[in-house]
Amino acid sequence: MTPAGSLLIADDLHKSYGPTPALDGANFSIHPGEVVAVMGPSGSGKSTLLHCLAGIVRPDSGAVHYGGRELTALSDAERSSLRRGEFGFVFQFGQLVPELTCVENVALPLRLNGVKRKESEARALSWMERLEVADVAAKRPGEVSGGQGQRVAVARSLVTGPRVLFADEPTGALDSLNGERVMELLTEAARETRTAVVLVTHEARVAAYSDREVVVRDGKARDMAGVR
Amino acid sequence: MSGPKDGHPSPGDGATGRATLTAVRPSPRPPAPEPPRRPGVARWAADLAMGARFAVNGGRESWARTIMTAVGVGLGVTLLLFAASVPSMDSGRNERTNAIAAFGFGEEPKPGPGTIRLAQANTDYGDKDIQGMVMAPDGDRPPHPPGISGVPAAGEMWVSPALKTLLASDEGKLLRERLPYRTVGVIGDSGLSGPAELRYYAGITQKQFDHVISDYRIDRWGAQDTSGDDLDPALVLLVVVGCVVLLLPVLIFIATAARFGGERRDRRLAALRLVGADTHMTRRIAAGESLFGSVLGLAVGAALFLLLREAVGGGSMMNLSFFTSDITPTLPLALAIAVTVPASAVVVTLIALRAVTIEPLGVVRNATPKRRRLWWRLLLPVLGIGLLLPLAGGFGAGSSGGDLQTYQAAAGAVLLLIGLTALLPWLVEAVVERFGKGPVPWQLATRRLQLSSGTAARAVSGITVAVAGAIALQMLFASVEAQNTEETGQDPNRAQLILNAKVDNGAQANDAFARLRATKGVGSVLGITLDTVSDARSKKKDPADIPTDSLTVADCPALREVARITSCRDGDVFVINGSDSYVAPEDAFVKPGAQINLSVRDDGLPSPDKKKLWTVPGSATKVRPREDPTGATSSGILATPGAFDIADLPDPQAQAMIRLDPKVPDATEYVRNASASIGPALDVIQLSGTSQSSEFQTIRNVLFIGATATLLLIGASMIVTTLEQLRDRKRLLSVLVAFGTRRTTLSWSILWQTAVPVVLGLALSIAGGLALGTLLLKMVGEGLAVDWAGLAMMTGIGAGVIVLVTLASLPPLWRMMRPEGLRTE
Repeated sequence: MTPAGSLLIADDLHKSYGPTPALDGANFSIHPGEVVAVMGPSGSGKSTLLHCLAGIVRPDSGAVHYGGRELTALSDAERSSLRRGEFGFVFQFGQLVPELTCVENVALPLRLNGVKRKESEARALSWMERLEVADVAAKRPGEVSGGQGQRVAVARSLVTGPRVLFADEPTGALDSLNGERVMELLTEAARETRTAVVLVTHEARVAAYSDREVVVRDGKARDMAGVR
Repeated sequence: MSGPKDGHPSPGDGATGRATLTAVRPSPRPPAPEPPRRPGVARWAADLAMGARFAVNGGRESWARTIMTAVGVGLGVTLLLFAASVPSMDSGRNERTNAIAAFGFGEEPKPGPGTIRLAQANTDYGDKDIQGMVMAPDGDRPPHPPGISGVPAAGEMWVSPALKTLLASDEGKLLRERLPYRTVGVIGDSGLSGPAELRYYAGITQKQFDHVISDYRIDRWGAQDTSGDDLDPALVLLVVVGCVVLLLPVLIFIATAARFGGERRDRRLAALRLVGADTHMTRRIAAGESLFGSVLGLAVGAALFLLLREAVGGGSMMNLSFFTSDITPTLPLALAIAVTVPASAVVVTLIALRAVTIEPLGVVRNATPKRRRLWWRLLLPVLGIGLLLPLAGGFGAGSSGGDLQTYQAAAGAVLLLIGLTALLPWLVEAVVERFGKGPVPWQLATRRLQLSSGTAARAVSGITVAVAGAIALQMLFASVEAQNTEETGQDPNRAQLILNAKVDNGAQANDAFARLRATKGVGSVLGITLDTVSDARSKKKDPADIPTDSLTVADCPALREVARITSCRDGDVFVINGSDSYVAPEDAFVKPGAQINLSVRDDGLPSPDKKKLWTVPGSATKVRPREDPTGATSSGILATPGAFDIADLPDPQAQAMIRLDPKVPDATEYVRNASASIGPALDVIQLSGTSQSSEFQTIRNVLFIGATATLLLIGASMIVTTLEQLRDRKRLLSVLVAFGTRRTTLSWSILWQTAVPVVLGLALSIAGGLALGTLLLKMVGEGLAVDWAGLAMMTGIGAGVIVLVTLASLPPLWRMMRPEGLRTE
């Protein structure tokens, strides 16, 4: 794949935490509706790449282009607004607000975008039905299983209709059966809505749900499209 | 007989040699070794010790938690140790004050080699009280005051270290003129009630005592009767409730500190469950961690106390100062602190863990917490009210107070205030469960409160108790203040200063008035000279029984200050009619045409043998008395100088009514200096409309100091608790920011989360404070009077502390909301 027609492009990203380089000239691109798995060993810089692509962390040098805009040139408020409206996120753990019910968690990004409570909860519920967790809508995260919680998180990431979904080890805390079901539902929904998915994982069976794999090693990203 | 228990064939069972299935059955595994059973206490000790080891060896996080607990407990312990030192501070001060007392009660000793003649020469300098004494030995073995090595010779003085510093400073320039003695020594600690006391002992000649109004002799120093007066019962109640109000928040703070970092510790304890620790063990281990932190806190508190004690000792605040050596906790109270604080930490931890289940794979907080029960929470304040109600009138004027009543009052106040802290979580829960709809920050805040209202309630319970107690105290204070503030009857508009001087004759009196008029800062001086005269026609033999009254000689303007005179010219004489004279009606002898005896003996009694007669002119006008600027009423004869020669008064006393020029700063000090030049121990009175008892002022000052310390502690406690909660939610905050949540949204949510319990806490504290205040007023026999301004101030201070704490918490909150918090590697 070439960057032409890409939705999100990273060019020569460098990022260090203290003396430790996390990214050392990483490149990346993704097209609308494409699922790309970012793989690599622990500490290779996968999550840092995801954070830079999503505008969560500003790289030390290099550029991230999204829809013709240079992400690194945007202010913190502009990047927050972008994340609120056009990006979705799923993390491995610790992402649901424990005091809100599951449906309130899913509706949260809509409410942050100014959508009225009733409407946002109705839309949240339809996504929860799609992800087979409508029955736990009124429960709090502490009262549901890990797999259910992760599907709630996926529903929350998709509820705003994002153009890019960033998933950082989304099945890392789940057993294989639950993990596979989450991946099936996530990729299915993403492809249906032409949402691009950046999927950080170190598990080959999770990466198997992707269209393409990028391996990060020593801070450099290598596209495996030709290798596969 | 039963067969072989373990299935092995026994030697004599007849089956030997037969190869049967049973015979070749594989021998079962030996039973697993039973864990050694320890007696209860030993098991407790072992688990607590393991917890203590975790507190030390658990890595950076453990140390952070232990240090937070230790610092929190340490701050509380420091305040408790100061509170425990109050009895010894009080007794040390009293002992020295009694030792330096020079009372002339009882029969005055006759002049001899072992006696000394004294007069009080106290003076004020600005807002400073200076204790002074002038003295002259009668013989060669006079007793000297404690803290100095001998009686100062005439013209010399010993001064306290603080007075020496003041005299040497620019600030003391005017004071140096007032004390024209050569400093020959510094008074030692044993001669001072506190290190900042301003005190001097000056030597004067016997001749100089002629100008001293009130002098006396002693043959030894020190109060002979040290029992003193009992404190007014209302003041006792004020002290008791004050202590409760100040110390309860400290105890609550210590309990809160014992829970610092508890959530993360619980997660670590889950790992212990995984390797086989049971629930009880993990709780005991958690208690051990808290125990270690609190014991370390005791050490921190003791160290802080020792450091602050050095700083406090020698310093002065609101006219109170204490020697470092006095600031020593009494042994029983120190032991009680040493035992109670660690024990409370253990109990608090065990209670906190009741709502948490630590499972091998993590911590499960009761997702739907048990509904809080109201009955026992109501029981505490009801019990408190039950203890306080029967005391109605028990602390009023004329009542004895008594130890039992004091304890009952303290217990009642404690129960009522603790009841408020018990009611608060229920109230917060009951109110927030009705919330839900609203903007995102409101929803996040109320949902959080619904899930764990206890944490929020705990954070504000200290301020709830403090504000409730302060409101009650304020109400009691207003009442006690009214009781202890007396109308003096003085009128500072007519004269600001009054000088009383003993003079040899009228010329000296006139000279004194002239010197005062010439003093810088003096607007006008009205002078009167008066003496005691007796009934020349009295037939009574004993001079002590002969009726006496006063003869006042002054010009017309001065006489108008003591009587209602419409017309007055030099040469006029007036007779005061209808005054509250101490002369009995049947002994009244002062009237126009009356003959009076001016002569007095050396002991001040009339001299019937050597009479010096004067007749009140028949033209003397009868006038009504008028209260003079000091509030006193004159009686007897008033004569203008043209009618009576002032030189004929045998033992006159001069009184100057002085008006100051308000434009001259330090005018009072100039007058005091002028009076010191007239006589060494002259009495300059500053007139004031009201006066307060010194005990009341001391208690008010001590309570103010304590309240400030308590509020600072509460503020510190709330900052630590808020930071602690934020740190626990660091990752979640980062996730929320990652998907685009505005920081202001989270800031508002945190603010609502603080504000809701605070508002509820303040509402509860107002209700509780008014209830306690009403009961306290009933106890001192006063009607309900709410000091609304005071109430608003107390509530405002409470809210102000919350706002400050929230503002102080915002920078770390914003730091923790950085998306970098998502990093795990």
